Amino acid sequence: MNLLDIRNLSIELIHDEENILAVDKVSLSMKEGEVRGLVGESGSGKSLLAQAIVAVLDDKWHVHADRFHWRGIDLLRLSMPERKAILSRDVAMIFQEPMACLDPTTTVGEQLAEAIDESQLSGFFWQKQQQRRSAVIKLLHKVGIKKHSECIKSYPHQLTEALCQRVMIAIALARQPILLIADEPTAAMETTNQGQVFRLLASLNQLKNMAILLISHDLENITHWTNTITVMYSGQFVEAGTTEQIFNKAMHPYTQALVDSSPMANLHLPAKSRLMTLPGSIPILQHLPIGCRLGPRCPRAQQDCVKAPSVSSFHGHKVSCHFPLLQNPKLQKASRA
Amino acid sequence: MTELLKVQGLTKSYSDKGSWLNKSRTTVLDSISFTIEAHKTLAVIGETGSGKSTLARLLVGAEPASSGSIFLNGQELKSGSYKHRCQHIRMIFQDSGTTLNPSLTIKQLLDEPLKLNTSLDEKKRTELIRKTLQKVGLLGDHMNFYPHMFSGGQKQRISLARAIILQPQVIILDEALASLDPSLRSQMINLLLDLQQQMGLAYILISHNLGIIRHFSDEIMVLSLGKVIESGKTLEIMTKPQHKITQKLMMDQSFQLRAKKLKK
Repeated sequence: MNLLDIRNLSIELIHDEENILAVDKVSLSMKEGEVRGLVGESGSGKSLLAQAIVAVLDDKWHVHADRFHWRGIDLLRLSMPERKAILSRDVAMIFQEPMACLDPTTTVGEQLAEAIDESQLSGFFWQKQQQRRSAVIKLLHKVGIKKHSECIKSYPHQLTEALCQRVMIAIALARQPILLIADEPTAAMETTNQGQVFRLLASLNQLKNMAILLISHDLENITHWTNTITVMYSGQFVEAGTTEQIFNKAMHPYTQALVDSSPMANLHLPAKSRLMTLPGSIPILQHLPIGCRLGPRCPRAQQDCVKAPSVSSFHGHKVSCHFPLLQNPKLQKASRA
Repeated sequence: MTELLKVQGLTKSYSDKGSWLNKSRTTVLDSISFTIEAHKTLAVIGETGSGKSTLARLLVGAEPASSGSIFLNGQELKSGSYKHRCQHIRMIFQDSGTTLNPSLTIKQLLDEPLKLNTSLDEKKRTELIRKTLQKVGLLGDHMNFYPHMFSGGQKQRISLARAIILQPQVIILDEALASLDPSLRSQMINLLLDLQQQMGLAYILISHNLGIIRHFSDEIMVLSLGKVIESGKTLEIMTKPQHKITQKLMMDQSFQLRAKKLKK
């Protein structure tokens, strides 16, 4: 059974004259214990999608979906408080720039203690203080912070960025979530620290069978850590498949361009040769092209591209394009028919 | 080919605060020496606090060096001679959005270095701005726009235009590619490579992304705690890192791992 199953989720920004469709019919499904990457450049709506999943968007945004199931429960039928109760129990989220997200005026220990639920503590009220403290220390040990007594006493600005991110992860782990959404957990971080955070997430995934939705703007950064990847562009679904499929047999011209433009992936390229790029830049929300939003930049664009393509699936490799890049001639025929 | 930029024994140290009896000094850069030729790129890598950004600041003259000397075309650059230096050594910063003055148009922004450093009249300056904007892939009419009207990638191009408008010989890129989206980043790399070929620029590239460094640079210098621990041709260091810290840096990006994974 799928852990999370979303079909055709759209997010609209309510505006005086005209509503802006920021996320247009994106589907996302996650299995238990899976690490899925969600890749898209800035303005592709990946953070919006994550915020819609945990239901923290305010009234300005209008979210609707054809299907929104969480472990078999249809969340769309539930009222907002019920939905939030389920999501806050099972889903946790960590944000980019950990230092800015932690409260600068209270110590790390207090913030951690706040996240621990009353129901996790047993015993009488005079024992609870002690239990809470030991739970905080246990959480810190879980994320690999050994000097717990110093860490509890310090304020966020006294810790390094990677340590802050570990504290954020510890807060997220407090309620033992089944799904962890990591929104660019390593943006603006040193490479050595990036490795540490990714390794921690990978070990949590393996030891606790916790599913992780890893959001990033850079394909090459996360391919090492993910099982499956979903690619988005400018609010539209582009392609989803296993990491292998996306990286080695990309079907969408945009994914292919992302892979080609990464110097890390093209080690056979001679040094200082020109990299493959798409012309132009990402469209802004006020001036979105109709149909497939990649249209004006796409090297394979044809007349049909003014209509939004539907999603077609090839052995679990989903792609949303009228003219996908298919290596197998048999599939090519099938897609035309 | 002759050396364009030569740095000898460059050192920077700060005196610590504390009681005046036991004054101690912290050395951030410890006698760094290197040379660059025209058309070449030197990549500088290292962990946080290894002195990469200090090196960049010393080279452009934002801070005076404690000791050591910098030669450009065999001529020594003293800490007072900023006019000569800022014409030939330019810098692009990490966050292009915040380094452009939001209250000035692009024309005014690019006009400033010309007014200060050249004796061109207004007509010629406008013509030069137009040409430079076209060189970096923007339109001449963009000069009447304000920075907020551009996207992140275009802002980075404007910073590049500001850097090349005085026809420099060395450009320092301090993490200038890190914050860009991947498709814009490869556009920027192509543009930088084109300009290097046309104008014979030498780049000093400070970056974390080893993929870009492998693609872009000719030589690598690895810094750690202000000292050069390894330097040489890019390919040699990438394939056979000698020093422990270099090996760790390479491992952290799982550089070799990914290369293997792709070969399968």
